[in-house]
Amino acid sequence: MAAAPASIAVVGGGIAGFSAVRELRRQGYTGTLSLVDPVGLPYDRPPLSKAFLAGTLDRLRLQLAPAQWYEDNDTSVIADTVDKLEPGDGATPPVLVLDSGRELAADVVLLATGARARRLPLPGMDLPGVLTLRSADDAQALQAHLVPGAHLVILGAGLVGAEVAGTARTLGAAVTLVDPAELPSAKVVGPEMAGYLQGLHAGHGTAHIRDTAAAITAEGQSLGVELAAGGRLSATAVLVAAGSEPETALAEAAGLSVDGGVLVDGAGRTSHPRIFAAGDSSRRLGPGGVPGRRFEHWDAARRTGEAAAAGMLGIDPPAGAADWFWSDRYGVHLEVAGSMVVPGQTVLRGEPGPGFTAFRLGLDGRLAGVAAVDGGTAVRAARKLIESGRVLDPALLQDPAVDVRRLARGKA
Amino acid sequence: MSEGIRVADVDEIDEGEALTVDAETAGTADDIAVFHSDNGRFYALNDTCTHEDASLADGWIEGDEVECPVHSARFCLRTGEALCLPALTNTKAHRVDVRDGAVWLYPNVSPLDA
Repeated sequence: MAAAPASIAVVGGGIAGFSAVRELRRQGYTGTLSLVDPVGLPYDRPPLSKAFLAGTLDRLRLQLAPAQWYEDNDTSVIADTVDKLEPGDGATPPVLVLDSGRELAADVVLLATGARARRLPLPGMDLPGVLTLRSADDAQALQAHLVPGAHLVILGAGLVGAEVAGTARTLGAAVTLVDPAELPSAKVVGPEMAGYLQGLHAGHGTAHIRDTAAAITAEGQSLGVELAAGGRLSATAVLVAAGSEPETALAEAAGLSVDGGVLVDGAGRTSHPRIFAAGDSSRRLGPGGVPGRRFEHWDAARRTGEAAAAGMLGIDPPAGAADWFWSDRYGVHLEVAGSMVVPGQTVLRGEPGPGFTAFRLGLDGRLAGVAAVDGGTAVRAARKLIESGRVLDPALLQDPAVDVRRLARGKA
Repeated sequence: MSEGIRVADVDEIDEGEALTVDAETAGTADDIAVFHSDNGRFYALNDTCTHEDASLADGWIEGDEVECPVHSARFCLRTGEALCLPALTNTKAHRVDVRDGAVWLYPNVSPLDA
């Protein structure tokens, strides 16, 4: 599309949708802009497992922007659910059919529908007290269970499970993580960092059982978690933290190409010329048209939202960057960039604790990934090294006296 | 124009580094970070990310942008514009001059007025 579309409708008020809206206006887009989300004003999700869950951040401060911002930026926020996307033939504008009965036509539609928490195929998933965490309402429902004397069983010790465990402990609840992996998250952060993080759980009184749940049963006011290996846990609440699944129903019904996510190019273009997609629900096509990984991180949602904004305006999207995410638990700030599991070697810097960093060097000597706790700007610098593709001396990476920032600038 | 503050000799702030001038010294409400970017230029912004209370002086400085070390909000070093989420609010930019081998900060003077 050579000229900017006269109107754009964004479906979904997560980071991807909001980033797109914000970037459109920042780039000077003056057309009609609408954002449709069932809850209305967009809010941020990372605090849902941390400050918001702990009760130290209220719902108003969870919002990505105050109501005035939407007025100032001439953006209509429509609190409604999109029941159907009528894509049109490419020559005519797509139409969003809303739950209220309203029909909203826009020259271009951005699908930023996000993902939903994955449910496990277990008996008892629908019992009261069996919860997932995806929305602010979910977090408030979970919070009600996190009190002294409670015992929360968390199925899945990935990012969400681990963060909730940390928050639950600060609120005085007992926590048992159930995860089949000996070192949960090792594929994401590498075994060395995963080992350190695992130790944090133990150090804060969070139990880890290496198993999977076979069923959840009602036990009077409590719940029973039957384990595949034969054990049984008694819980006051169960959190299922088993990852997410992309919300692609609208796209599929509209006939878009979907394969574990709405397939997009680097500018968020789908298989339909007037429909774009971004965020957790999207999956970028790589070289040769092969679908790449579907990223679920905040930063990926922001970047793909901004890339789609550029795509909708017909301008080049920002250059890609190494995948990056952060996580907080037990007062420790973890950052990870790139991949920690490519073939090669891991170089460790420092001792487990603040500043502890693991670098993953590929077989070609280039930096592929970094994982660090309380590492400050070093991770940002390491991201730069990953993106540069420079071959690096492991001895320099290992030496705490070598400033990674200077290394990234070619000064060390 | 307010009176300038001699912050440092040029060679006292490496490229890619920044130093902080505290609010009392600057006579401002906020600390000010003075950046020496890898493009050789000096800039100054209020030293607090508008997303959370992180020091931008500790951030990644490149070209005319700085990236917050905590959640990677980026700001334009020339104007203070918040370039991406999670920061939504611009920060304040101040004028910096290099004169006689020294870096001079002019608190509360817009760099765009230079």
